[in-house]
Order: sequence, then structure tokens, then C-alpha cells
Amino acid sequence: MSDNLLKDPYNIIITGVGGQGNVMASRLLGNMLVGRGYYVTIGETFGASQRGGSVMSHMRISKKSIWSPQIPEYKADLIIAIEPVEGIRVLARYGNPAVKLLCNSHPVYPSSVIRGETGYPSPEKIESSVRDLAPDTTFMNATEKAVSLGNSILAGIVLLGTACGAGVLPLDREDFHETIVNRLENQQVELNMKAFDMGFRLLKN
Amino acid sequence: MSYLTDNQNNDYLLMGNEAIARGALEGGVNVASGYPGTPSSEIIEALSSVAKERNLYVEWSINEKVALEVAASASFAGLRTMCVMKQNGVNVASDFLLHLASSGTRGGMVLVACDDPGALSSVNEGESRPFARLVEIPLLEPGDFQEAKDITKWAFELSEEIRNIVMIRSVTRMSHASGNVRYERLPDTNAKADFRFDGPLSDPETGPVISMVVGISELQHVPQQEKIKKAAEIFEDCPFNTYEGPEKPELLIITSSACTLYSREAISLLNVKDRVGILKLATTWPLPPRLIKKYLSVTDRILVVEEVLPILEENIKILAAEMAHEIGPKTFYGKNAGNIPSVGELNPDIVVSALSTILDVRVESVSESFVKEAAALIETGIPVRGLTMCPGCPHRASLWSIHNALEMDGRKGFVCGDIGCYVAGLWPGGFNTVKTLHSMGSGSGIAGGFGKLRQFGMDQPVLSICGDSTFFHAAMPALANAIHHKSPFTMIILDNRGAAMTGFQPHPGTPVNAMGEAVPSLDIAEICRAMGATVEIRNPFDIEETQQTLHHLIEHQEGTKVLILSQACALSPERKDNPKYRMKVDEEICIGGNCGCNRLCTRIFGCPGLLWDEEKGVSKINDIMCTGCGVCADICPAGAIKREEVAEYVG
Amino acid sequence: MNISGPNELLENVINRNLCTGCGACVDLCPYFKSYRGKTTMLFPCTLPQGRCFAYCPRLEVDLDYLSGKYFEKPYNSDPLGFYKSIVTSRASEKFTGNSFQAGGTVSAIMYFALERGYIDGAVLTGQEGILPTPRIVMNPEDVLSCGSSKYTAAPTLSAVNRAIEEGLNRIGIVSTPCQALSTAMLRANPLEEKDFTDPVGLVVGIFCTWALDFRAFEPFIASRVDINTITKTDIPPPPAEVMEVYTSDGSKLQIPLEEIRNLVPDACSYCMDMTSEFSDISVGVLEGDPGRNTLIIRTERGKMIVDEAVREGYLIVDDMPEINLEHLKWAAGNKKKKALLKAHKEGMVNNPGKDKISYIRLNNETLEEIIA
Repeated sequence: MSDNLLKDPYNIIITGVGGQGNVMASRLLGNMLVGRGYYVTIGETFGASQRGGSVMSHMRISKKSIWSPQIPEYKADLIIAIEPVEGIRVLARYGNPAVKLLCNSHPVYPSSVIRGETGYPSPEKIESSVRDLAPDTTFMNATEKAVSLGNSILAGIVLLGTACGAGVLPLDREDFHETIVNRLENQQVELNMKAFDMGFRLLKN
Repeated sequence: MSYLTDNQNNDYLLMGNEAIARGALEGGVNVASGYPGTPSSEIIEALSSVAKERNLYVEWSINEKVALEVAASASFAGLRTMCVMKQNGVNVASDFLLHLASSGTRGGMVLVACDDPGALSSVNEGESRPFARLVEIPLLEPGDFQEAKDITKWAFELSEEIRNIVMIRSVTRMSHASGNVRYERLPDTNAKADFRFDGPLSDPETGPVISMVVGISELQHVPQQEKIKKAAEIFEDCPFNTYEGPEKPELLIITSSACTLYSREAISLLNVKDRVGILKLATTWPLPPRLIKKYLSVTDRILVVEEVLPILEENIKILAAEMAHEIGPKTFYGKNAGNIPSVGELNPDIVVSALSTILDVRVESVSESFVKEAAALIETGIPVRGLTMCPGCPHRASLWSIHNALEMDGRKGFVCGDIGCYVAGLWPGGFNTVKTLHSMGSGSGIAGGFGKLRQFGMDQPVLSICGDSTFFHAAMPALANAIHHKSPFTMIILDNRGAAMTGFQPHPGTPVNAMGEAVPSLDIAEICRAMGATVEIRNPFDIEETQQTLHHLIEHQEGTKVLILSQACALSPERKDNPKYRMKVDEEICIGGNCGCNRLCTRIFGCPGLLWDEEKGVSKINDIMCTGCGVCADICPAGAIKREEVAEYVG
Repeated sequence: MNISGPNELLENVINRNLCTGCGACVDLCPYFKSYRGKTTMLFPCTLPQGRCFAYCPRLEVDLDYLSGKYFEKPYNSDPLGFYKSIVTSRASEKFTGNSFQAGGTVSAIMYFALERGYIDGAVLTGQEGILPTPRIVMNPEDVLSCGSSKYTAAPTLSAVNRAIEEGLNRIGIVSTPCQALSTAMLRANPLEEKDFTDPVGLVVGIFCTWALDFRAFEPFIASRVDINTITKTDIPPPPAEVMEVYTSDGSKLQIPLEEIRNLVPDACSYCMDMTSEFSDISVGVLEGDPGRNTLIIRTERGKMIVDEAVREGYLIVDDMPEINLEHLKWAAGNKKKKALLKAHKEGMVNNPGKDKISYIRLNNETLEEIIA
């Protein structure tokens, strides 16, 4: 973990598709950081966007103040993508060459793809185009890991673990544990901890 | 115990709506009511979760007008009370609101209206702020999450001081955003309700509560205007109106609500702290004239940043015109000058662009090549993600049958749509069946009107759809009207057992209330029958039977008929993680893209629980998405989609 | 052959009101459906080629090809098409007590063919109220309940499509001329499907001058009589010029054919075929004799089954009076000429290439002879 913020404000976007646990992930991460004494601002869209639409949580972490709940274009420092195409969408609007991208490789097909009106880019295409824009990108099949624990919704937690293990956030495994003990039902704590650890180890030095 | 009722001196990460709820708790609220609507719903949800603990009465009312009436009664009896709704709801409540603003209130009463700039989760981009001016009540707009709490608490005091309802306006980026909030102590909860009415008619504390006596406008309207003047006076010293920036800025931004945060960010990005000041107003109606004058005097150039219409801008211009002889001429930037769009929500980038032009400065950003490459990637490689219904959604099955029945009938029948997830009926995902869409309940009102156009030679079959919550909210009068006037149309009630779109809030048809207590549930079918409609009830997952019923209803066009398509939402607690069937595609049988099918299940039906295997040329089940409703097995022309009952299914 | 797909079918047939509602495209796939006599496309289909187009008797009908296939000759100008013999016929006394239209020849033959296994199922047209409804019949006795004439178009061939789907492979079909034509097109395997086998065992064509649009006929008749009381409708053979509607209270309504003809869809005016030329046998009324039929035997198979039915005592045949034959030829020739002339004038015949779809193709010699 880093002792301080790498930047102030440090800008994180968690993105995915409605129903992937985006809001849950941003909430848990936010609570961990508030617990560490930071100002956290989260902006998110939900409601109609839950219905198979793109969702984004914009997070601003600061020692000094609240920030805008919408991150300016090209100003994200860390993007956590629970869905690869959504990762690209966010990267193109909010990314920059220095951004760190953690990307689930498991696709959720938009209705236009299911209907056959448009194609979905191949894993190779996704990987190459993403790396062109953001060299610091890590792909993983977080959904597969989550399904191995019994529920695909844990993919966001796996990625959260990876983010915390990657040393870019002033957070440790214990922060997560403390937060979920306070926020989740008892029987969910162990499962979420397992998912978190699966991701945590991935980029841990 | 909920974190909403902690009494510790810590920072909490609260959603704006939770902060408003906490503010209400700190303000000693006793009664809260509302009707669900994005982005407002979490306020009542938060309060209902602590209702027992805090001795509150919280209800999800049948609609916003009734909600406001329920909340008002508590005020009349001396309690503190809050009513919550989305912007569109204020339109519904506005009839009573006008009367209430005239009669005045007793216990502190706060109306929270949550607007949705950009219509992220709405069918339109309405504004609730003009109502404050229209009905002459104070309007407060918090500029961050801490203020969302603090201003709510203060609003109750303000209401009691001026003896009238106070309106708080939030927006999506405030209500659905989160940030640090530090708590104050919660008050004791031992309020007693007592409605006093023995005093003279004109006594605001002890007389009957009435809005206006015909022809005697002085009785209420004069005191009402005194109240708003008093509010303006109080606003002169309101601690939530703040200024930050140089003493004599080149440009003054006047802003409120979430736009405050965008403006600050833009100033920081452009590094123009020394040139631009921000007057952040929490009291946007009535504007405190002395305060405005003070800040208009520090500069000649003013940019007003607000969402959505130029309401603040115009009110400030009125004051500036009145004061022109004292403060001199000013140059205004904003919506009328075209610096800020008057459609859609704002963000820091929009304010950056406005400031760049006005101040002739440039922002440092990524390289041109990055921008180009990123844009190219989006344009060429990335599929759009349109809204669709969830996997296993009963509306998909309902709209499928409705579409097919209308097409086969062939007389250009159509559906008048309504507010709910079934707005997807407008799009290919809902088979383009919906042809009108307006406000809550209006689909059935419009359909009732179309039905009467037989007189003018219109023989197109007319259907309306509405959800169960929408039925109670505003469609019941439309149905009664149609039956009374013998309008031939079929109202289809898509009963998915709760206000699903906003998160399964209860309504009069559900057996529990907002506080989780058992309550009588009103039977929609019986209500319709009592009104005189013929009523059929079908399970939309039974495609064959539903379609036959629809054929019958569409073919026999006499009278007003009701078809209830009853099936729980795929996200509902009863169906979530409880699949009825395990689905499988037999690849040997699947016709795929060939003549005889041409990918009906994926290309047309389009349930996200299905996938198209390009390589094999067959359909597949997406096991992660599929909810096991089994409907695709019935639409498959080859019988290739198989369903197997899940032993653990709880029916 | 120029075979296109559903979009061309929609554009050239359904949207131009040329659809006869025969049911050839219905239930082949989930897209084409028939409801109350009207064929509709529910959703767009993107295929460039489809059976819907290939089987449609209103598109790219190559009469020479079909004649060659079934009668081993190019199409000629005979008003009655190719045939071996023409006789009069009626159901034998075996069927006494059943109510038939005219001589009951169709019912007797289908009954016999089903009973003896010449066919493994019969596709007929039953009735729900006054709506004619396709039926797949497996039991000979059930044939008898379908034995009445229907004067509105029915998507009977949709039942053939279902019967094929169910695995029947010697299907007996009672068809109108357009349906017989479509059936011939289906049997020719126009899309050259690899594992195709001819699913048809016998085609009994019926004479037809037109079939009413159900959606026009229903309100027409409903304005004259309570539909629920109708027991039978009949158009007696010429020279009578009326439709007779019998009701349960024993009364009989007579509607002049002049009024009825207003309800004939435009689609029928393009039909060249009065006697179901592409069937094994064709059956119609016999002028001046409501108790007997005209029976045209066209193919070897038709002849064999008729001969058997006569030998086994199911069917009674007699010579065709010359005067009746003359009148029949005149009527059929008249229909053929009018229809082909109309189609020709409207540019629907023998268009070269794929750019413009032809309704019908036939050799120029025959074309000239017919429209001369």
C-alpha cells in the first residue's frame, strides 16, 4: 500500500454494466478511505441505467476537501472496469497515458450485439487497443474467479482486491475487512473476503 | 442500529439522499411521506429503515399529491414533517402545494424535490425550481453533502419561523452522489400531535387551516407574501450562502447546488483562482437582495452556472436591473449568452469551456494524438449499450405477446405507454409497440380518448399499458373515466408486484408498507371489476395463453377491458437467485441463422440471457445472465431451447 | 430460378395486396403468421433467400418448369391444364347420411386414401364459426366433418408445413388452385435442400373462381344474419347466381352473387387457374346437377387412386356430358385469359433477369395463345 495519495485528488472510476455490483464496490472502497481519514466524493448514475446500461462511479479521494462528483475528461488515475468494453468507453473519455487500468476480461454483451446489429470486439482487439492508450493495464477474468466462489456479482470485489493490492491506494487488506464487517451481513463477510483476497494477491509485490 | 442514527463525531460517507434523511432526523422530523422516483427514492427508504428506532411515521403514498397531504396533516398537528418526490412528482402535487402555501403550516414542513438534469433516469428534463416562485415559498439548494444534511435540518427551523412550507431542491449529482458528512446530535423523540382549530379563522396557530376564502385574498395572500419577505430577510445572513475568491475578481460565478462543485473544479483546472470568485447560493428563491448587491458590486462580469433553465440567472438579472443605478451596468454570461447549455446536466468540462472562452485561457490536457486515438476507438470498435429489459423480465414476454397480437390483427393497433421499465416498449428491445409516452397514468387517459374516436372512423385497436404502482398512482381515474364514457380499449396492467424501477417500494397493492408492517393489500382486479371493467388475469410467461387472450380482447372491441399480466420482476426478492428452470440449447436441433428461424431468440427476442455463438452458428444460454424464466423455450421455433425444472426452486 | 427472400415477398406480394392467403409461407418460420385470413410478417427477417419466397404461388412461378416436372411437357394453353380423363362422380352409398357439398367426391377420395394408407395424413380445411381453419386429419372418419365448401380463403398450406414438421411424408392435401401450385413448387425442392424428400402423397385440387377475403366477408354477412346461427353456406352450380346461407332456425338467406363479387380480393384477379391444374385430381361442381361433381384425373397416381376407390365401391363415376365439358373449358379459359392479360399488362410476366421479379414465367408461344 502507498502511505499517501499518489495525487490529490486521486481520481478513480469504477465502471461496468447495471447489475454488476458497481455501486457496491464504490461504496465499500469509499468507506475504506473515509475510515482512513480522507475526503471521498462519489458520483454515480443508477436508476434506468441499471437496466442493462453502462454504469460508472466517479470517485475523488482527497486529504483536503470534497470534489466534483464528475471527474473532468482525461483526468482519471485509476480505472476499475468490471466489463471490458465499458473499460474502453471510460478509458477513451477519462483516461490518459499514465492511467492505471484494471480490467475484467469477461464481456457482457449489449443488446445490439445479442441482436446481431453490431459485433463485440475480440479479446485480442480489446487488449491491443487498450494497451495502445493505457500501457499500465492489467487484464484478469474476475468473473470466472467470482463464479468459482458461487456468484458472478463478486467480480467487482475481486477487482477491488487487485486495486488494493496494487500499491496505488493508501489501503490494506484490513481496511476492507473492517469495512465489510460493519457494512455486510455476517454470513457474507467470509465470501467477500475470499473474493477480495483472490484479487489482492494478483499485483501484490 | 443503522449508521444513519449514530451519534459519534466521525465522518460518514453518505449519499446526498442519506444526508438529507440524516438532516431530517437531526431536525427532529416525525412524519415523512413520498412517492418513489429517481433520484429521490433513497430519502424515504433511509427514513423508513430507522422509523421504529426514531419513532417516525414513514409512508410510501399512493402518489405525490396524497403524500404532500399526508405530510401536511402532521404539520397542522404541530409535528415536523417532510415530503419527498422527484421533479415530475411536484407537478402532481402542485395543486395541493399551491393551497398549502396559502394556508401556511405549523410544525416545520419541508418539501424535497429531486430534479434529474440530463434526464438520466426520467422521461423528461423538468425543473421543480419554478414552483417555489409560482407558489411563493422559499427554495434552498445544498451545494455539497454536508450542506445537504445541514440545510435540511435548518429548513425545519426556517419553516417554523415563517410558518410556511420550505422547498429543498436536489439534483441527481447531489442525491445520488456521496461524500463526507459530519453528524450533529439527534434530538429526543417525544413529539405529541394536536390539531387546534377552535381559534378565529385568521389565527395561524389556533384557527382552522384553510387555503383561501373566496374573494378575501387579503386573508391569506397578504400574510403569505409577508412570509416570503421574511424569508428573504433571513437569507441575507444565511450561513450557507458563501463567497470564495479574490476581493475584486475579474469574473464572478454565481452558482448553486452541484454546479458549485463543477465551478470550483473548473477554476482549479484552469488555475484562475486569483481571477474568478464564486458566490455559492443556497437560498435561490427569494434571492436576498442586499447580499446579491454586495457581490454584484465587486465585479462587472458575471457568469451564472446552474442546471437546467436560466432561472437563477434571470432572477439575478431582475435584481441587477433594479440596482443598476447603484451598481452600474454588468455583463452577464450564462445560458442566455450561450456560454452554458440550457439542456442537459453540466459537468466540470462544460464550465471549463465557458471559462476558457470568457477569460481566454486554455486548460492543460492530454496530447492531441491521445484524444484522436481515443475518439477513433470509440467510433469504430465499441458497440453502444442501449437500455434494454433485464434477462427474464416479464415485460419482455408481455410486450412480445402484445406486439404479435397487434401485428397479426393487422389494423395498425398500438399501445399507449406509461412510466416504468416498460418504456422499453418504445425501442426494438420492447418490439416498438409503444406509440405514446407521457406522464404517470396518462397512457390510459390517452387510450380512453382514442377509444372515442370510433365516431370519426378510427378503427385501430387501442391498448394501454401501465405498471401496478402506476395503476394506483394515476391510472385509476383514467380507467374510471373510460368505463363511464364507454370507451372501447384494453388496459393492460403489467403487475410485477412493486415499484420495480425504483427499487421495489411498496404500493397500495402490496401487503407491507414502507416500515415493513403488514397492511391490507388492495386487489387490482377487484378494483377494476368494481369500476365495471371486464378483467382477465394471465401469466405473461404463458405466451400462448396470453396471446390468445390478447387476440380475443383486440378482436372484440366493445367496452373497456382490463388484462392483468401478473409476474414478479426478475430482480424481485422472490425471483432473484431463484431460477425456475435450467435452460439449455440443443445445438443439434438449433436452426440458427437458417431459413425457418434466422436467430429469432437472439436477433428479435433479444433476452440478455441468450448468446449467439458465431462460430457454431447456434444460440447459447448465458448461464451468468439467465434467470431461468423459460420463455425462450416457448418462442424457439425448432424446440431447440430446453428447460429443466430446478429442484431448489421456491414457487 | 430467381429465388429471393422474405423482404421481396413482403414488398411484391403482401404490400401489393397480391397475397391469396394460401398459407404457403405461414408457420415455415416464426415470421409469417396468418390470423383471421390475413398473412402478416411479424418481425423483419434478413435472409436473402427463403422458402417463403420459393413456395409463394405469386412469385417466380415457372409454369414450364413445373409442367415439365409433373407432366413432362412444357406448359400449354389448354384451359384445363394437363389431364388424362374427365368424368362425373359422387360418393357411394357407403357415405349415406353424411352432409356433403355437391357429390362428396373429395371426402370420399380422401377417406379412401387415408383408410388405405395412400396418404399418412390429410390436410383439409375445417371451420371455426364461419372462419375456415386448416386441419391435419389422421383418422378417415374426421375427413367427413370437413366436407363443406368454404368461400373465404384459408391458410391451408400452413398445416402442410406443420405436418411436414411433425414428420408426415405422404400427406394428402385438398387445395385451391393457388395452393396446388404452391404445393407443386414445394415438391420441386427449389432451394435444392440436400436431405429433401417429397412429403406429398396426393393432391386433390378443387375448382375455384375466387376466394373471399374473410375480413371483408365477416362484417358483410354479419350485417345480414347472426353469424352464430349459420349452419352452412353454399353456391349452387350455374346457372344459379346466388350464395345461400342456411341458419339454425331453418331459414335460408339468398344473396345475389353480384353483391358477393364486390368482396373478391384483387389478388384473385391475377389467378390463371380455375381447376387446380397442378394436382393429381381436380374436383368441382357439375353444372346443372347439385348431386354430382366434375372429376379431372391428371396424374398416374390420381388415376390409380380413383380407380381403386371406384373398384372398392367408395366412389361412383360416370361419363362427362360433352356440353358440360364445353362450358367448363369456356369458363376456365376465360379466367386464364383475363388473369394473364392483366398480369402481362402490369409487367408481371417473363421479366428478364433478377432485377424485376416476375409473377409468372411461361413460354412465349403459350403466352401468345392464351392472351390472343
